[in-house]
Amino acid sequence: MSSVIKAENIDFAYRVLNNHQSSLKTLFRDFVNRKVRIENYQALSGLSFSVEKGETFAIIGKNGAGKSTLLKLLANVVPPTKGKLKITGTVAPMIELGAGFNPELTGRENVVFYSALLGRDVKKVKQRVDQIVDWAGVSDHLDYQLRTFSSGMIARLAFATATDEVPDLLLIDEVLSVGDGEFAQKSRKRMQEIISSGTTVVLVSHDLVTVAELADRVLWLENGKLKKIGDPKEVIAAYQSSGS
Amino acid sequence: MRSNKISLYAITGFSKNNFQLLRLLIQQELTLRYKRSVIGIGWTLLNPMLTSFVLWIVFSFFFASKLEVGQQFAPYLMAGILLNTFFNQGLLQAANSIAANGNILTKVAVPPKIFAFAASLAAFINFLIGLIPLALVVYISGQSLSFALPIVLLVGFFLVLFVAGAGLALSVIFIRFDDAKNIINVLLLILLYLTPVFYPLSILSEGMQTIVTLNPLTSFLDAFRWSFSNNASVTPGDFIYLSITGVVFFTLGNFVFKKYWPRTVSML
Repeated sequence: MSSVIKAENIDFAYRVLNNHQSSLKTLFRDFVNRKVRIENYQALSGLSFSVEKGETFAIIGKNGAGKSTLLKLLANVVPPTKGKLKITGTVAPMIELGAGFNPELTGRENVVFYSALLGRDVKKVKQRVDQIVDWAGVSDHLDYQLRTFSSGMIARLAFATATDEVPDLLLIDEVLSVGDGEFAQKSRKRMQEIISSGTTVVLVSHDLVTVAELADRVLWLENGKLKKIGDPKEVIAAYQSSGS
Repeated sequence: MRSNKISLYAITGFSKNNFQLLRLLIQQELTLRYKRSVIGIGWTLLNPMLTSFVLWIVFSFFFASKLEVGQQFAPYLMAGILLNTFFNQGLLQAANSIAANGNILTKVAVPPKIFAFAASLAAFINFLIGLIPLALVVYISGQSLSFALPIVLLVGFFLVLFVAGAGLALSVIFIRFDDAKNIINVLLLILLYLTPVFYPLSILSEGMQTIVTLNPLTSFLDAFRWSFSNNASVTPGDFIYLSITGVVFFTLGNFVFKKYWPRTVSML
C-alpha cells in the first residue's frame, strides 16, 4: 500500500505581530519605542502520521485543538512551519462548501467557476453542468444570478458541484449532508458512495457516532499534539473517558 | 514530449487548468464591474473620454501652446489618462485581489498569484478597449495613427509585468497592515503629478525635469504616445528603461510574495 499523506514531525505556528494591532502607524510607534514583538501561536506541534490509499481517516478533538488547521495543511492551503508533509494526487476540500461562489454570476457560471477553482478541466465541466444542476434540483434557476437563489439551493448546488468528480483525496469538515428531508438523505448517500468507492478520505467531525461508523482509523488531537491514534473504538473510548 | 522550449507552465508554476481559471477570472473582472449599469461595458469606453474632456477644459488653456510642433494636446492628455488608469487600477486591484479572495485561498489550493495576474491583465484589456476612443480623438485633432502602432502592445506587456509584480508585493503588505492602503493612495497621487499626464515636460524647471524623467512611468507614457500617434519624442533609452523596469519589478514582486506569503496566509 502506498501512502497518500505522509506527515513527518510537522509544526504549524500562526505569527502574531504585536497582539494583532496591524497598522503601519502602531508598528512605527512601537519600533521607535523598541517594542516590536512577534509572537508565535503554536497551533500544531510535532505531528507524525500517514494515511494509506483508500483509507477513511478521522480527526477528533475539542474546539481549538488544531483540527481545522491540520485540514488546511492537508488541503495545501498553507505549508507547515516545520517538518515534512507529502501529499500525492488530487485533493478536493469540502471545507465550507461554496466558498468561491459569486452572487452576481448565474448558477451555470458559478458551477464552472467553482470547478475551475477546484482545479478541474473547464471544458469537461461545461459538458456536465446540466447533470450537476439536475442532481442538485435547481435546473429551473440555472441561468439566474445566484443572489436570487435560496440558501438551501446554494448549499445543494455547491454540494453537487464539489462531489461531481471523485478526487484521490477528499477532505471533509463536518459536511456529510446538506439540505433538508429528501436532499439530506440523497447527499448522505452520495457521500457514503464516495467513501466506499475506494477514495482516501480525511474527515473532521464532532459526531462520534458517525466517526465510529465510517472511519478505519482515528487521530485524537489535543492542544495541537497527537494524543492517540489507531482503532476507532479504542481512541473514541479514551477520548470520551477523558471527560470531553 | 521533449520540451526544450521554456514553457509558460514552468515559468508561472500554473497547470493547464489554472490558465482556464485565469481566463474565467479576467472575464469576470471585465464584465462584473458594470453588470448592474444600463450601458454595461460601454463605461470602459466612456470613462476615459469623460475624464479627458473635463481635464481638457481645465488644462488646455494653460498647456496646449507649450507642446512641440506637430503635437496635439487632446490626444496627449487622453493617452496620459488611459495609461495612468491602467497603472493605478491594475496595481490597486492586483494588490487587493488577494485579500478580497481570502475566503477562497484559505479553503482551496489555488495558486494565489492567479488573482493578481487576472487583475493586471484585465486592466490591460480595459486599456486596449480605451484605444478605440483615443483613435477617434487622434483623428478629430487632425493627426493619424502611427506605423509603430504594434509597439503599443509591447509597452503594455511590460507595464503588465510592472503592475503584476508591484501588485503582488503590495498585496502582502495590504494584508498585514490595514493603513497601508491610505499611504499607497497618497503615493500614487504624488506619482501622478510626477508623470507628464496633463502637462508637457518643457514647462518644468531643469531640476524637476530630471526627477520626472527618472520616473519609469514617464518612459512608458512617452513610448505609448509616440507609438500610437507620434505625439511625443522618445529615445532608445526610454525603451530600455521601461523593459528593465517591467522585468525587475515582476521578478522582485514574485520573490517578495514567495517569501512572505506562507506567513501572511494565516492572517487572512
